[in-house]
Amino acid sequence: MFKFLKKKNKNFKAIINSSMYKIDVKSGQNLLSAALLQGIPWPHKCRVGSCGTCKCIVLKGTIKPEIDFANVLNAEQLKSGYVLACKTALKSDIAVIVKIIK
Amino acid sequence: MKTLFVNIRYLIVPIMSIGTIYGLIIGGLYIWTGVFLFGLCIILDTITKNIHLKANFDKNGNSDGIKSLQYAIMYLMLFVFIALQLALAWRIYQYVNTTAFDTSIIYGLTIQNGITTINLIGAVISAGLWAGIGIIYGHELSHNKKQGFLMSRLIMSLSGASHFTYAHVYQHHLHLGNEDDPATAPRGRNIYMHTWLSHAGQCKFSYDLEKSRLEKQEKPFLSLSNKWILGYIYSLPSVILFIWAGGFLGLAALLTLWIIANFELEALNFMGHYGLIRGKGKNVEHRHSWDNDSVFTDWFFIAIGRQADHHVRGETYFWELDDVKGPNYGIGYFSLFLITLIPPLFRKYVKKHLDNWDTNFANDEEKKIAQQF
Repeated sequence: MFKFLKKKNKNFKAIINSSMYKIDVKSGQNLLSAALLQGIPWPHKCRVGSCGTCKCIVLKGTIKPEIDFANVLNAEQLKSGYVLACKTALKSDIAVIVKIIK
Repeated sequence: MKTLFVNIRYLIVPIMSIGTIYGLIIGGLYIWTGVFLFGLCIILDTITKNIHLKANFDKNGNSDGIKSLQYAIMYLMLFVFIALQLALAWRIYQYVNTTAFDTSIIYGLTIQNGITTINLIGAVISAGLWAGIGIIYGHELSHNKKQGFLMSRLIMSLSGASHFTYAHVYQHHLHLGNEDDPATAPRGRNIYMHTWLSHAGQCKFSYDLEKSRLEKQEKPFLSLSNKWILGYIYSLPSVILFIWAGGFLGLAALLTLWIIANFELEALNFMGHYGLIRGKGKNVEHRHSWDNDSVFTDWFFIAIGRQADHHVRGETYFWELDDVKGPNYGIGYFSLFLITLIPPLFRKYVKKHLDNWDTNFANDEEKKIAQQF
C-alpha cells in the first residue's frame, strides 16, 4: 500500500585511492557504509561524524554533506577538500583519497 | 501487509500524544489522560514478551521501513508537541483567570471549561510525561541531514534541551562508556544525581564546542551565529507562551514540564549505558551499550532500545537496527524505569547483570577499571 512512497535507488561509483578500489554507493547511502559493506578496510570509529577518523579528500565529483563538517575538521582540512565519509552522500560519481591501513 | 505492519507499529507515541492533547482539551478528569496512558505503557511493557526482533528487509535486501513516511511522522511530531504545550497553556490561562466551570461544544466536542487545582497538577504532569517522550524523535533526527538536525533541535527546545542534539552526536557517541561522557552513568550513581550531572555536563560541552568553533572562525561568542545561544532562543516561544498564559504560575508550570521531560531524557541515557566501561579512544563495540528486547519498548521508543547496534552503526535508520546479542537487562524500559526510581532496588537488580558483563563481555582493561568501583 505504501510502495508508491518508496524512492527509486540511484547508484553512483566511488574510485578510492586512484583505482585501488571501486565501489557502488546507492543514493542516500553514505560513503563509509558503502565501503565497509563492500569489504574496504576504511578507517572509522564513531560513524556519526564526531571523531574524524573516516575523513577523506574528494578529488573529483559532487558530494552532499549530511552534517556541518566544521565541528570536527579544521579550516585547513576543509580547504583541502576533506569530508567525513560517514556523513557524506554522493550526488555524482566521485574519486577520493583515504589513508587505509591494511 | 508486512510493509504496512513494519511502518505503523511505531505509531504508539503519536497516537498516545494526541490522546493526551485530547484529554487536556476535553477537560475534567480527562485531563489525566496522559498520566493514565503512561501507566498503561508501564503495564504493557511489563506483560509483553521479549522478542528478539530482527531488522526488516525484503528478499532483495531492501528495507521494509519507508523513510519518507517515517520522516514525515517525525517532522509532524514537532507540531504535535507544540500543540501539547498550547493545550496546557490554555488550561493554565483558564486557571489563572478563574474561568467558570461550564461546558462548550466546539466542532462536536464537549469541552469542560474551568479547571481545579488538582486537575491543573494533572495537566502539567500529563503534558510533562509526553513532552519528555519527544526525546525519541530528537534523538533519531540528531543523526540526520541538516534539516533533520534542525528539527531535532526544535523538538528538544520544547523541553529546554536543544543542547542535547550537539552533545549526543559530538560527545556521547565519541566518549561513550568513558568518564568524558556525562551521559554514561558510572557504577554507584543514582538516576536523580545522573539527571543533573548529565544535563549540566552536556550543556557545558555544547558551550565549549560552540566556543571553539566560533574561535576557529574568528567570530564573536555573543552573536546569533552562536548555536549554543540559538538553542535557548528556540525555547523562548515556550517561555513567552507560558508567561502570557499564567505569569509566574505559567512559568512554574513550564519549568515543571521541563524537569519531568529532562528527567525522562536522562533516564534513557541512564538505562542505556549504566555502569558499562570503555577504554579511552577504543572502538565502540556492541558490549558497550545495554540492549533491549522488549517488543513494546522497541515499538514505543522507535528502537532506541537497540543501543548496542545503534552505537556501532550510528548511521542506521531506527527500523533497520538489529538484535546483536549485546548485554541485556532482560526487561523493558518502562519496567526498568520504575526500578531506577528506588536506587537501592536498582543497584540490587543491576548487580547480577554487571557481574555478568564483567565476566563475559569486558576485556582486561575494562575489568581493571571496573575494579575501581
